[in-house]
Amino acid sequence: MSEATSNPTMTAAELEDKKNKEAYFTAGQMELVWSRFKRNHSAMWGARVLILLIMMGVFAPFLSPYNPTIEGRDKTYQNGAPQIPKFWDENGFSFRPFVYTHSRERSAATNFRWVSKEDREARRYVELFVRDWKYNFIDLTLDLPGDTLDIDIQMFESNLHLFGVDKGMLHIFGTDAPGKDIFGRTLHAIYTSLAVGTIGVVISFVLALFIGGISGYFGGKLDAVIQMITDAVRTIPTIPLFMALAAFIPDEWSAELRFFFISVILGLIGWPTLARRVRTHLLTERTQEYVLAAQLCGASAAHVIKRHLLPSFTSYIIVDLVISFPYMVLSETALSFIGLGLKDPINSLGVMLQNVTKADVLLNYQWYFIPVFFFMALVLSFVFVGDGLRDAADPYSDHK
Amino acid sequence: MFQFGQFVVTRAFMAVITLLTVSFIVFTLMEMVPANCAERYLSYKSFSGAKITAADIAAEEKRLGLDQPYVLRWGKWVGNVFFKGDFGQSCILRVGINQLLGQKFLLSLGICLASLIFAYMIAIPAGIYSASSNNKAVNNFVRFFSYLGLAMPNFLLALMIMLASTILFGDSLTGLFSKEFRDAAWSYERVQDFLSRVWLPVFILGWSATAFALQTVRALMSDENGKLYVTAARARGLSGWPLLWRYPARHALGPIVNSLGFDLNRVFNELPIIALILTLTEAGALLFEALARSNDQQLAGAIIFLLTASIVTVNFLTDILLAIIDPRVWRSIMGGN
Repeated sequence: MSEATSNPTMTAAELEDKKNKEAYFTAGQMELVWSRFKRNHSAMWGARVLILLIMMGVFAPFLSPYNPTIEGRDKTYQNGAPQIPKFWDENGFSFRPFVYTHSRERSAATNFRWVSKEDREARRYVELFVRDWKYNFIDLTLDLPGDTLDIDIQMFESNLHLFGVDKGMLHIFGTDAPGKDIFGRTLHAIYTSLAVGTIGVVISFVLALFIGGISGYFGGKLDAVIQMITDAVRTIPTIPLFMALAAFIPDEWSAELRFFFISVILGLIGWPTLARRVRTHLLTERTQEYVLAAQLCGASAAHVIKRHLLPSFTSYIIVDLVISFPYMVLSETALSFIGLGLKDPINSLGVMLQNVTKADVLLNYQWYFIPVFFFMALVLSFVFVGDGLRDAADPYSDHK
Repeated sequence: MFQFGQFVVTRAFMAVITLLTVSFIVFTLMEMVPANCAERYLSYKSFSGAKITAADIAAEEKRLGLDQPYVLRWGKWVGNVFFKGDFGQSCILRVGINQLLGQKFLLSLGICLASLIFAYMIAIPAGIYSASSNNKAVNNFVRFFSYLGLAMPNFLLALMIMLASTILFGDSLTGLFSKEFRDAAWSYERVQDFLSRVWLPVFILGWSATAFALQTVRALMSDENGKLYVTAARARGLSGWPLLWRYPARHALGPIVNSLGFDLNRVFNELPIIALILTLTEAGALLFEALARSNDQQLAGAIIFLLTASIVTVNFLTDILLAIIDPRVWRSIMGGN
């Protein structure tokens, strides 16, 4: 059966080429998208950064040496500058990187103010795989107002951390006012912001599919009515909507519940744009012959939408989801920034950014700005990956 | 022509319906905020030592008409707004809303529209270029720079510019007017002073809006670029910008004109944050104040209503504009059925 025997003059290179071509013409849509995506360098770099950031978020407890909440604060090093591990100083060279011990004191000599002192003799050596505070790799706790709906999943308890020091603590990104480790907080903040974004995107996605699906598939008067409602929802400014809804969050709600509620609201507000796209796709697809064929076979509307229409633009939906993700993260940060979103015990990027705005921080504690760079990297990588996916999913983009 | 008139009337009718729906939602939201006007008025009295009973509150509610059914009160509010342009009184500040707002809403609207124009002035050429060019380095640079506006939190940008200008020029650039013009009447000098300060919020808001605009333009352009009519135009010997402007860009820009109203909404959402940092005295700051601090339902409701009215108006105008340019738009709606 093989082509090589039927055509003996074909060289190995030609054969390889032919095989590639055949693979190209028989490839599924996802494979095509991936092969086009791979050729886009800026998108690939975005994807690498994004995966790195997601990993940092997911493995935050393992990577951060100290508990990012108030329990893990360093009392002897508050508002402390980042400590960069060194290999040598005037006291000699060491194979193991080290930092110095800091102590705080207040006495008549310091005019009764707290003064931080660095002790260059007392070195703290960096160690790998240290045991410190306990955490769970999978940790889902949600305490909803009722008793029956509580979710409490905690698995894979561990106290292993990637690095630490032999005595005292090490803060590679410095500490904030109460002495919490900014490195650990940043990693946990990435996780929180990603989680808010995911919940928000999933909720708005389901709503958009449902509403846009009905509107696009049935068309006509139903479509007109749904479109008018969608437009009305899109016209209401989100920030005031949020503020009104935030007034409902009782003060006694736990930080986790607040976080869950905020993500749900983000999802409930975010659906109209996506719903419109789904509708437009469906409006053009529903007159195609394969839909008519399915209808003639007696398929129900739900079946036609689910099995025939949705798969026809899955790639577009994925692209839309990736594109809308950074806007969810941005809404979260904006809300937390004006004090309506997440609040301090929770580490989210919005909460971290809020800390940056004090004049004191701008002038004296510049290391508070480190999370800002992570935030920018997260948004930029999402946008570039979204653009790359969009181009890759577009069947017309190939001929360039 | 008759059909076109019919289209305009239908659109206007739909705009009014949307506005009514939105006003109902806004009114409901404002009602949901705890404590009503009667309790507010009386809480002042309780400061001065007088005892307040439930009967007092009920009497006050009756005096203010708060005991009437909900829909009736909404109707009254909307009626006053539509026919008299009167938003009623703020019960926290006890001043007429119209007097409180004054020109502030127009200022905010102006800032938002200016930022939108700024954003699209960058996004349209950059998006067309980015979707059509093969020069990867320039393309990536243009996109990176535009997206930076989105990724860089706008309050941070505001803070950094303020800090830089304080160090370099000794003026923090905050506020919309400098001291001597704050309460002055409009004059040539005041306009000059205003323009020398207003560019900062416009720039910040515009840059962060650029990213979204660019993404949209780019997506629409690359959808059009591969189509056969573009190839056909290319075969006729057209190339470069003349080709792009004449063929794909015309198609691609339609949906953008259509969504201008919603873009206005997005920009206005960011305004309170910028206003907070730059201490701007306009409606965005007032809205934030009313919602997050003083809980002033009437003031917030009025601002949100004015904003949605502007969005609906912009949407209506762009619809008509598009229909004039492209007859298929109204034929597809009016003609088919």
